[in-house]
Amino acid sequence: MNNILESKELNKTYIVNNKTQHNILKNVNLQIKKGEFVSVMGPSGSGKSTLLYNISGMDNVTSGSVFFNGHEISALSENELAKLRLNKMGFIFQHIHLLKNLSIFDNIILSAYMAKVSSREKINQRALRLMKQTGISELANNDITQASGGQLQRVAICRALINNPDIVFGDEPTGALNSKSATEIMEILADINHAGTTIMIVTHDVKVAAKTERVLFMLDGNIIAEQQLGKYSKEKNDIKARENKLSRWLMEMGF
Amino acid sequence: MLLNMLKKDFSRKKSITIALFIFILLSALLVSAGSSMIMELSNSLNNLFTASKAPHFVQMHSGELNQSEIDDWTSKNDLVKAQQTVEMINIDGSNLYLGNDAESEKNSIMDLDFVRQNTSFDLLLNLESQVIQLSRGEIAVPIYYKQQKNMNIGDKVKITTPSFNMEFTVVDFVRDVQMNPSIIHSKRFVVHKGDFERLKSNLGEIEYLVEFQLNDFSKLSEFSNAYQSSNLPKKGPSVDYSLFKTLNSITDGVVAAVVIFVSILLNVIAILCIRFTILATIEEDYREIGVMKAIGISQSYIKKMYLTKYVVMAAAASIIGFLASIFLNRLFTANIMLYIGTAPKSVLQHLISFIAVVLIFLMVVLFCSLVLRRFKKISTIEALRSGNIGDAKVRTDSLPLHKSKFFNIPIFLGVKDVFQRFKMFRLLLIVFLVSSFIIIIPVNFLNTIQSPSFISYMGIGQSDIRIDLRLTDNIVERYEEMNSYIKNDKDVEKFSPLVTSQFKMINNDGALENISIETGDFSIFPLDYVNGNAPTSDNEIALSYANSKDMGKNVGDQLQLVVDGTEKNMVVSGIYQDVTNGGRTAKALMPFNADAVLWYVVSLDVSDHTDIKGKIAEYEEAFYPAKVTHLQGYLDQTLGNTIDQLKLITILAILIAIFVSILITSLFLKMLVAKDYAQIAILKSIGFTLRDIRIKYVTMALLVLNIGIILGTIVSNTIGQKIVSIILSFFGASQIKFVIDPVQAYILCPLVLMFVVTITTLISIISIKKSSISEMIVE
Repeated sequence: MNNILESKELNKTYIVNNKTQHNILKNVNLQIKKGEFVSVMGPSGSGKSTLLYNISGMDNVTSGSVFFNGHEISALSENELAKLRLNKMGFIFQHIHLLKNLSIFDNIILSAYMAKVSSREKINQRALRLMKQTGISELANNDITQASGGQLQRVAICRALINNPDIVFGDEPTGALNSKSATEIMEILADINHAGTTIMIVTHDVKVAAKTERVLFMLDGNIIAEQQLGKYSKEKNDIKARENKLSRWLMEMGF
Repeated sequence: MLLNMLKKDFSRKKSITIALFIFILLSALLVSAGSSMIMELSNSLNNLFTASKAPHFVQMHSGELNQSEIDDWTSKNDLVKAQQTVEMINIDGSNLYLGNDAESEKNSIMDLDFVRQNTSFDLLLNLESQVIQLSRGEIAVPIYYKQQKNMNIGDKVKITTPSFNMEFTVVDFVRDVQMNPSIIHSKRFVVHKGDFERLKSNLGEIEYLVEFQLNDFSKLSEFSNAYQSSNLPKKGPSVDYSLFKTLNSITDGVVAAVVIFVSILLNVIAILCIRFTILATIEEDYREIGVMKAIGISQSYIKKMYLTKYVVMAAAASIIGFLASIFLNRLFTANIMLYIGTAPKSVLQHLISFIAVVLIFLMVVLFCSLVLRRFKKISTIEALRSGNIGDAKVRTDSLPLHKSKFFNIPIFLGVKDVFQRFKMFRLLLIVFLVSSFIIIIPVNFLNTIQSPSFISYMGIGQSDIRIDLRLTDNIVERYEEMNSYIKNDKDVEKFSPLVTSQFKMINNDGALENISIETGDFSIFPLDYVNGNAPTSDNEIALSYANSKDMGKNVGDQLQLVVDGTEKNMVVSGIYQDVTNGGRTAKALMPFNADAVLWYVVSLDVSDHTDIKGKIAEYEEAFYPAKVTHLQGYLDQTLGNTIDQLKLITILAILIAIFVSILITSLFLKMLVAKDYAQIAILKSIGFTLRDIRIKYVTMALLVLNIGIILGTIVSNTIGQKIVSIILSFFGASQIKFVIDPVQAYILCPLVLMFVVTITTLISIISIKKSSISEMIVE
């Protein structure tokens, strides 16, 4: 299987108050294969989110390279990166970053209208399909103020998927949800992954990470270990075993 | 602690604080200067009228005069305190050379009169407001020429005719209570008694001012009626004390009014900016306000904390504005000081300016206090929980994206945003409306005053050439000669001889009054009428706007004239606008009064192939000393000065509008981008390029600008036109209709504003580069 995403000697440094230098990412080397579902875990401040934003081109790396589908993206311009985000990537955030002045449906279709991937009618139909798939069909005409946190995260998932991206990035996608909603969201993401979309998420929740294929553990700006869990399937009914395996491993890591 | 807070807030919002400060400062400065101008004007006028012992009633007269008849009548009239008859030698412009000019005053539209100093009243003053005393060979020149021709002490004034030469040296300038203002087309030059006699015996054309001072000024109309019904000389218009006051104060009065108006406008903009700033600050500090409330700090204290900044800023700006105005006052009152002189400064003058400034300050503070009432609405729990201000919710059902057919998404989002958050955009809209208003009004007015059709506001039909024949010996024969010459001239396509003569009319009090009536055929060069039409039968009369207002007559009303000793009923057929001759004229079809002809005018059109300049030269020679003018030249002469000033004002207005637009657009957008930080970050995260986001914001600015321009244009062409009409009604034109150059008004001006606003927007939203979700999370 080819790598969809790869980083080589990735470094990210922040300089605070023009003096203090914080090395958040230190020579990170990472490969994510096409169709993989990867999660990144680690203590607060270990650099999980920073890794996600740097590897996805949302933020500029300090040094090192990032390759997306074999092309180096760390040297692309702002505009080229924007196009890449529009057409090839989807993002889901912990907090609901939706546009307040658009309805739920319009939030979902906006990037597809921008990308002009197909006719507007087809885009609308796809949006409705995604909404049905994620169980929020009834919200089409609602404001974002008229939906719960769990429902809004599904809206964000629909938005991330509307342009049929190659990869979806999630920064604590269930972090602000109750456990029931979190479980539902992870089921949806697993389904999407089964359908072929690569997913990379950052999480601190064992239950969430247990549903991913491979777990990376970060400490002090570097990936120090990884655990292969294999593809998750609801039908296998092995979620408890996955969770236990992961928990043990994490304890070994000192988490 | 308070000082620390103020410092912190200032560094956080440096540019907006400085801009607000400048706005309030300018507003305070202008209101102080404007009110000071009005005080100065009124004080100086009183001073001038007292020092020069202004006459209460003046009858102009050209022709024979019997002083003993006047003395006799005066001695029997108890109302009269003093009487004096002023002799004026009217010098033909073509014989007068001012200063170093090689050109004579041939083309001047002024009546140039030489006089000697009066003895008892109507004293002619110098720049120190002292009575002018001259030796032989010396002359005092009207202030008008000091300003217009830049004349100086020591310059020469020459009178040259084929048979007579005389040269004077300028030693002083005349402050003339009657003929000071530039809008009065008569000017008095003062010479020594001996020189005057010499001029009189050589040039001899005398006009008289029969002047009166009354014991009781309030009985002026009674006196005027008595004079008009007497047989005393009155071949000419009569004027009175209140008219002198109006004419002397009108120019500076209008300027003062405009200055105060601009000040209020600036204050309104400042107040709107403050509202916007306060709301943005409250939104930013929402959580902090919640915390303060939660730990028990009272609402009034929190309010005071926010109010303090604006009170301190407004107070400082007002004080500096007021102090600056004291130093800059000279600039504003320079024209008053030159024409009217300075009165001793009183404390009251500064006090009134100060009160005006205090009012501006109070307006700002009151408004801030009103805006800060919003604190009441902030719920502690809501603020702490959401960190979002309650009213940030927007309606999403207007302009749904999925139903739109609009192709460009960033433009669509910009349009949608403006309509959804229209309340917030009001500030920008008002600024753009005001900006286009202050550009369009002077542009349209300038275009109107420069258009050939402006002649209709001067009570004259549109023709190529106009010939004026003033009262001279054997005028009737010369007039007839002139008519037959023109009639036989093959180059002339059509012509219309018009005679203005004086008639008596019975006024509303039943007394006799003089009225100048132009007679002839008014259909050849027709005029635009405000109401009704030109007279079509010999019992109809058309009145100028100023006359109809004075007399209280409207179309269809009756008017009694005395023609050949018998009363004649006339019906008012129409009302027209006329800014010439004090705006008091009339037109009728009846035969003219041969005993009291004031002037003859012939208007004519020449055929297309005729060289107008050549024709004018030919007529000048043939009809000497008649004044022959190309009508466009007549307009340029009469209005040239005004047009030049107006051009300056227009450029200034455009610059001010552009400056205000740049400043407010930049402040507004900087704050808007800060406010929209999260929304911009979201757009970027889903793949909007910086260019897409720029398009969105430029669309927003331009949409608001265009709405502002459309509203501004409508307001300019309706209310603005009315305001201009009100100002011009003082001069005799009541219904100005803008002659609009569509390219200038509807294309160039909006394009200039659009260009400026687009560039300003692009520069102001540079910070959108910084918004990113990853940064938001890091923060």
